[in-house]
Amino acid sequence: MSESANPIIQFDHATFGFPGVVALQDISLSIGTGEFVGVIGPNGSGKTTLCRAVLGLMAPLSGHLRIFDCACGELRCHHRAQIGYLPQKGVVDRNFPVTVLETVMMGRYGTLGLFKRTTKKDQAIALDALAHVGMDAHRDTALGHLSGGQQQRVFIARALAQQPKVLLLDEPTTGLDITTQHNVIELVAHLHKELGLTVLLITHDINMIRSHVDRLVLLKTRLFAAGPPVEVLKPDILRQVYGKELVITERDLVIVEDYHHHH
Amino acid sequence: MLDLFTYDFMQRSLLAAAMVGGLCSVIGVFVVLRGLAFVGAGTAHAAFAGVALGYLMGWPPLLLAIIFGLGTVWITGWVEEKGRMKLDVSIGILYTTTMALAILFIGLMKTYNAEVYGYLFGSVLSVTNEELRTIGGLSILVLGLILLFSKELYFIAFDQEMAEASGVPARKIFFLLLTLVALTVVISLKTVGAILVFAMILIPASTAYQLTHSLRTLTIYSVLIGISTSVSGVLISAVWDIPSGPAIVLLATSIFFLAILFSPKRERRLAPAA
Repeated sequence: MSESANPIIQFDHATFGFPGVVALQDISLSIGTGEFVGVIGPNGSGKTTLCRAVLGLMAPLSGHLRIFDCACGELRCHHRAQIGYLPQKGVVDRNFPVTVLETVMMGRYGTLGLFKRTTKKDQAIALDALAHVGMDAHRDTALGHLSGGQQQRVFIARALAQQPKVLLLDEPTTGLDITTQHNVIELVAHLHKELGLTVLLITHDINMIRSHVDRLVLLKTRLFAAGPPVEVLKPDILRQVYGKELVITERDLVIVEDYHHHH
Repeated sequence: MLDLFTYDFMQRSLLAAAMVGGLCSVIGVFVVLRGLAFVGAGTAHAAFAGVALGYLMGWPPLLLAIIFGLGTVWITGWVEEKGRMKLDVSIGILYTTTMALAILFIGLMKTYNAEVYGYLFGSVLSVTNEELRTIGGLSILVLGLILLFSKELYFIAFDQEMAEASGVPARKIFFLLLTLVALTVVISLKTVGAILVFAMILIPASTAYQLTHSLRTLTIYSVLIGISTSVSGVLISAVWDIPSGPAIVLLATSIFFLAILFSPKRERRLAPAA
């Protein structure tokens, strides 16, 4: 169920956390090259820990994690550069002096390595990444002057400028309006197809991603379920994880937490 | 006023002011963007404690200033990295501790030592040729390292975790930045003094911050403001016979407030939301 041909990321009975606190326990999961995987689970279920683990920022307390066939401790900077990462949306200071192009160019820095200066070729790659997310017309705009959705596009472009093998997105739609949320997910699905990227998308919004992903991974400290959306999104499985906070509507929509406030 | 330029001491002071002004304003860009303003102040006082110990024991003051300065920034960086304490708390503790040490060392000297106070308040007009060479050498070292690692320094100033995740050795670059801040403080100590060096680092970059939305332009503006206010400050101090450190800093502060008043960002803030 959690096996995959041609794995690019492989968890083998891996446990993560800090001394005395287990954030993720006994995870066995392999993610194949070119797969689009959605990671879901309630708050505190270990989604962000999974994210940090894949970034090589957190070694397993026990078990193994191999990324690009390297153990966490063997992961070097050039490996990290192959993972394009979109962190949870922080607030960008409106006055922070950085333009859209300067932001995307930062995506080249890790790939280039120390002591090397950016060249015209790097700028061409950055502009190409901006074109992929439809933001090339804003190259000289201040980042802080963009809307939340546009900023997310720019950060996705920065990840693309790394020319990564894996795109890792941590709740990319949080804080965006519903149309923009759809646009961002459509963009990610499009990039997955067009560039053949392996995509790992962490989200609360199950409905938004269910039609796009190859597999869903459902976490609640342990790996609760993994497989195609139809296999994972079964009422009994979801109720066990989300408890009373979950309602499944007649149209098969999964609504978590705030359903009761609106009905 | 032109004959001022014919004096040797004036030429040395102007050169020292230009170098220190330029250096502080470049490192200031990263200090302001990375939110390390308080680290600059803490390091300056730690370095001053080193100078005081040097004079007390008869050891080279600049060497001890470097040791005290580096010790403070490295301990601060280490504490922040371990997540034990917020940066402003740890630097606050070290700041007051090293200042207490400085007062203790001065107290133990028993006699008044004007040179020590020179390091506290700065005395750019009395810079010697030898000091000028030290300032020049260290400035070239610090600026060279900044140039060599500029793209990484910009990235960690914008977002350190993001930089780490995308393959930049962000931790090492952060410690390099702290080291460069400490060295800059020590280099500037004799010229502007432990109290005002902090302003020299902070004000030009903060002024430039008001004026542009581009990292590259910010750096250029900061350097121009840093060098011009330092040189003008020294000239004002010589012409009107006022202390040079305050002249430089008060001039820079005036320009900072003018920049806030006429900042294009301010107009944007006042304009109705589009």
